[in-house]
Amino acid sequence: MKKVFGLVSGLALMSSMAWAEPSGVFRQAHEVGSGSASSLDPISKGRVFQITEKIMSRLVRPDMDGRPSPDLAISWTANEDATVWTLALREGVKFHDGTSFGSEDVVYSLQRVLDPAMDSPARAAIAMINAVEAIDANTVQLTLDAPFADLPLLLMDYRLRMIPEGSGDTIATTGIGTGPFMVKSFDPEGTSVLVANMDYFDGPPGVAEMDLIGIPDAQARLQALLGGQIDMEPGVTAQQRVMLDSSDQFNVQVVPTGNWRGIVFRTDVAPYDDARVRKALRMVADRQEMVDLVMGGGAIVSCDTPVGPRDQYRADMDCPQDIEGAKALLAEAGYPDGIDVDLYVATLEQTWPVIAEVYQKQAAAAGIRVNIVQVPSDGYWNDVWMQKDVVTTRWNERPADQALNEIYRSTARWNESYYKDDQFDALLTAARSELDFDKRHDLYVQAQEHLWETAGTLIPYHVTQLVGTTARVHNLDAVENNAIRWNLVTVD
Amino acid sequence: MLSMLLRRLGLGAITVWLVSLIIFAGVEMLPGDACTAFLEREAKGQLLENCRIELNLNRPAAARYLDWAGHALQGDLGVSANGQRPIAELVGFRLRNTVLLASGAMLFGIPLAIFLGIIAALRRDKPLDIAISTVAISAMTIPEFVSATLFILIFSVWLGWVPGIVLVSADAPISAFFPVIFLPIGVLTLVMTAHILRTVRSSVIETLASDYAQMATLKGVPFWRIVFRHVLPNALLPTINVVALTVAWLLGGVVVIETVFNYPGLGRMMIDSISDRDLPVTQAIALIIASVYVGVNLLADILTMLANPRLRTLHLRKG
Repeated sequence: MKKVFGLVSGLALMSSMAWAEPSGVFRQAHEVGSGSASSLDPISKGRVFQITEKIMSRLVRPDMDGRPSPDLAISWTANEDATVWTLALREGVKFHDGTSFGSEDVVYSLQRVLDPAMDSPARAAIAMINAVEAIDANTVQLTLDAPFADLPLLLMDYRLRMIPEGSGDTIATTGIGTGPFMVKSFDPEGTSVLVANMDYFDGPPGVAEMDLIGIPDAQARLQALLGGQIDMEPGVTAQQRVMLDSSDQFNVQVVPTGNWRGIVFRTDVAPYDDARVRKALRMVADRQEMVDLVMGGGAIVSCDTPVGPRDQYRADMDCPQDIEGAKALLAEAGYPDGIDVDLYVATLEQTWPVIAEVYQKQAAAAGIRVNIVQVPSDGYWNDVWMQKDVVTTRWNERPADQALNEIYRSTARWNESYYKDDQFDALLTAARSELDFDKRHDLYVQAQEHLWETAGTLIPYHVTQLVGTTARVHNLDAVENNAIRWNLVTVD
Repeated sequence: MLSMLLRRLGLGAITVWLVSLIIFAGVEMLPGDACTAFLEREAKGQLLENCRIELNLNRPAAARYLDWAGHALQGDLGVSANGQRPIAELVGFRLRNTVLLASGAMLFGIPLAIFLGIIAALRRDKPLDIAISTVAISAMTIPEFVSATLFILIFSVWLGWVPGIVLVSADAPISAFFPVIFLPIGVLTLVMTAHILRTVRSSVIETLASDYAQMATLKGVPFWRIVFRHVLPNALLPTINVVALTVAWLLGGVVVIETVFNYPGLGRMMIDSISDRDLPVTQAIALIIASVYVGVNLLADILTMLANPRLRTLHLRKG
């Protein structure tokens, strides 16, 4: 009897969920990164991604494991050498203004990104796309410059969102897309209001309204969370976590990410132009100690691979501290008395000075004398990064292919270590054109192992993000921000 | 008096000009510019070049300053560097919000400070005075960001009386700032009250010890009459200048308080514009703050003169 009752109430619950109207308001802060230049244009530098991710859809989105899954494209196929891709689009999707979504909109949106005159930061990510054509109303064909077996991974980029054909001049303020929420008002420095899109292709979202509030100061954002004025804050530190954990009004999600911090040695200047020296410089790092001291344990050790711990192509490596090995390598390279390193550090990233200090201590054991040079945060990316020989760096999560190609390929614009290695480039090229997953996987792993032997970039760990939420929030996917299904979120 | 006024106004104008020059030079000297601040890591090659051309950053600093000064003299403050919005419009609301916050703090703070200062002076070295003075000194010495954070913790997180962080945008109607504005007003009142209170207290004590106050006592004038007729009018004179400085400090945008509470006022805008290297906005705010300082101090001097016949005649004789 009890069982039957449970079943009935369970069914009732399910049906009530299926019929539930969107209700409640979910409030989230953003840091107003671009000030008054903030925009709803997903491919502009000033895009407020916390808003565009809720109002616009991509062709392909990451699933909970970070693999490509359908968004506006429901399926995709490649030709034999992976140079021509055909995407079948979801039918019957409407933009917020009531117009139908179709292949012309995809052509327009992608060509807009590729247009050099747009100066979009997203262009580099998909520069390999040579032509975008509409085959029919619901089929699009992408032609690439070179074979690329993982094109869908690139299409998951958080900026590549579809907007109505011809809306380029107005999109920055209208924000018309096909996402689960629609823009009611846009006020980057105050509160922007999004309302539920009842026609969303995956059904109406869980909450009726999303408020996106501009709070530039990180401390103020935490205060707002503590005071119950916002429902979510992704940037909780290990110290602040203690405070949130001790209260039943808050929850903390632990989300491993592919975001990393590191130290870059320029591979084109002495003594770092010797791969043995570079490897020695990286072997002296006790990565687990760095994780504990810098991040309070909230990170996952990386053996200098930029590929995140949850990425399907991540190489499984082991890299314990090896002082004797490092000394031997240095001696072999002609530096038996160790070397002097000037490491340039700014407080632009809070953890940089700490990483530098821990590294200084660890490296000293192998006769590497690290001199920490403090420089201003202002102009750091322009005057220090990619200018000085040894600097600190940080990168956000990218799919394996993008991370390896954008930061290490010899021709990459952001090749911060000036790394030039034909063998590595060849591995990446081979991986891109390899259609067999297992073989492709092997190639990417080899590329990462090659980096461990030769790279100039020390990547001690990938950051684990702590997301604080109020207890009234439910169904918020505990995954990297890029993959969260915002339409599922509900609030009490 | 009139020539004195004109001279002071002239000096004030020079001060404001010097401030604009120093601010311009200061922001120029910082590494990076509006384009590198906006583009961050993408500030390379063509993208950077395009941005600099668009924002007119390729010309020498001196030429850009002269350009700006020429327009400013005609009352045109220009457009913000990255948002391309008229500055008068951007700054206008921020100024209003800062004035709102400042007047709130003054409305509570000044009468409270004067009242407590007098009480403390009249009860000199008694428990009440010691209590008031101790609290005042504590309030003065605790940094604003600490008291602000404590206020948020107590009134917003624990008690839940008022929201802790201001979430309204700069151009929201004034009514939208209530009740959240009470916390920043409270913190400001705490800090400014202490400053004014201590001046009032020592000034009243000093005047009570003056010859004419003692004379009045000896003549048998009732205590309260001495206080109100003889002591206070004289004792409050020096207070005017302290109040003026406090008012200028408040109107200049209270950077720390505005940042902690996310309050959309001039102070926070100044900080943001400096980190964005948005020189036109920085300059406009610097002008406003400098003018407020000069203006309020001038006003205080005039008030002091009006209230004090001795100073008045001194200047008349000179002029």
